[in-house]
Amino acid sequence: MSRSRNNLTRSWLWLLLCLPFSLASAQSTDSAEAWLQKMAGSLKSLNYQISFVLLQANGNFEPYLWRHAVLDGVEMEHLSLQNGPGREIVRVGDQVSYFEPNVPAYSLQSEVINGPLPVELLRKPQLLGGSYEVVMVGRSRISGRPAQQLRIVSKDKSRYGFNLWLDQETGLILKMDMMSMEGEPLEQAQVTSLHVTEQPDAYFSRIEVGKLPEMISVPDISEHPRSLQIGWLPVGMTEVRRDMHRLPLTGQVVDYVMLSDGLVDVSVYRQSVDPGSSENGWLKYGANTLISLQKGNHEITVVGKLPPQTASAIANSVEYLEVGK
Amino acid sequence: MTQQKKESLSALMDGEESANGLFSDIGQDQGLQQTWRNYHLIRDGLRKELPSSLNFDISARVAAAIEQEPAILAPKKRLRDIPVVGQVIPLVRQGGQFAIAASVAAAMIIGVQQLNQPTPEQPFSSAPALQIPGMQAGGLSPVSLEQTRSLPPAADALEQKRRINAYLTDHQRQMRLKAQQAKESELQESEVEPQQK
Repeated sequence: MSRSRNNLTRSWLWLLLCLPFSLASAQSTDSAEAWLQKMAGSLKSLNYQISFVLLQANGNFEPYLWRHAVLDGVEMEHLSLQNGPGREIVRVGDQVSYFEPNVPAYSLQSEVINGPLPVELLRKPQLLGGSYEVVMVGRSRISGRPAQQLRIVSKDKSRYGFNLWLDQETGLILKMDMMSMEGEPLEQAQVTSLHVTEQPDAYFSRIEVGKLPEMISVPDISEHPRSLQIGWLPVGMTEVRRDMHRLPLTGQVVDYVMLSDGLVDVSVYRQSVDPGSSENGWLKYGANTLISLQKGNHEITVVGKLPPQTASAIANSVEYLEVGK
Repeated sequence: MTQQKKESLSALMDGEESANGLFSDIGQDQGLQQTWRNYHLIRDGLRKELPSSLNFDISARVAAAIEQEPAILAPKKRLRDIPVVGQVIPLVRQGGQFAIAASVAAAMIIGVQQLNQPTPEQPFSSAPALQIPGMQAGGLSPVSLEQTRSLPPAADALEQKRRINAYLTDHQRQMRLKAQQAKESELQESEVEPQQK
């Protein structure tokens, strides 16, 4: 009995002695950038099936199944919501098809499924450098696999931070936490099972590419008058989209700008209202912040996964120039 | 002998050994009792679970307090001593004890419920996510009685909820459309990418 306890303490001592060396050697061979590149490469080239659960701060959780395969050089991807009536998203090459309840199926041209994970970032980590610092944290065990932890922090502390755990062997994502400024988790994606296979999953051979829904073409509206001016943006965030459209449900016409830093997408809306008819306010929905404020006869609304202070700063910096009229 | 006992004591605390006979040993051996206390104190210290103020050796003081309690030498004449009522009373008394025990349990449940209440999601706003019909006005301003009283009428609140949902839904939709836009801007980039592989 006592011998086994002594052995235990001895092994601990050894571990303590070896730790600095192993850390030093690890740092010399791999860096945070190398890990992100490894992840991006694996996400694009491997055949894998990942089950993960998305947990939100308000207690909601959504289980997903995510499959990816490369068939004859074409990337195929399937993301499926496992609870409730379901939501199926299938990507074949650059065509993404959405199958959802209450809405006729449709396809969009896109190279990623912009789902619960910021997949676009995961696949193109080089877009991240302008806005975030990536730091190696250490190793741990996630979903029964050895994992490498990275921390992603916004350079100007204006956006939520992320903790990312990557599979030691393949570099695939095992866990991702979105942390508030106080370090509390806002949204967590936890992988529960991860299978990497030689052969693509049989599911993909059953997809009849010809029978996927028709592609919806989105009109190019790049020459839209730049009447909506955003005075302040967080470091690394840029405008990626701008148009004028009708809101679903209410049918109101809004001027719209989408901002993105690769990890977080933010929508800015402007809508004409009668002075005094709406009120300023904000709410949090999961990790999303919605802020609405009235300036004269404009109502400015900002939606996105941002701290309320940052969303408010963006909303306050919006100017509307009536140049087109 | 004692060294071995101390080791098995330590193993017991780690959950590695069953308590066969060890407890009776602890009960008899003053030194082992002290060791038991110390080990727990050390463990709590290591786990950073020590209370802010330490009351060493409560057991000794409790024992002393019981010692000093005056013994009741002449009990008062009770209802039980009257022949007929004597049969009934114990039941009533038992019932009373049960009631007290039940009330303690109830108090504990209430206490636990209060403890388990989730902390508010955001400390500086009283608006929980979407569950409240309307948005709270003035995010950072403290909520006054006036504000809580003047809740918007139900129809207004519904309308507001609809508008909020419209924005949230549209945001999700725009995120899907965004990917397409991003693709166009990456056409130049894609020429660089193959070289990296």
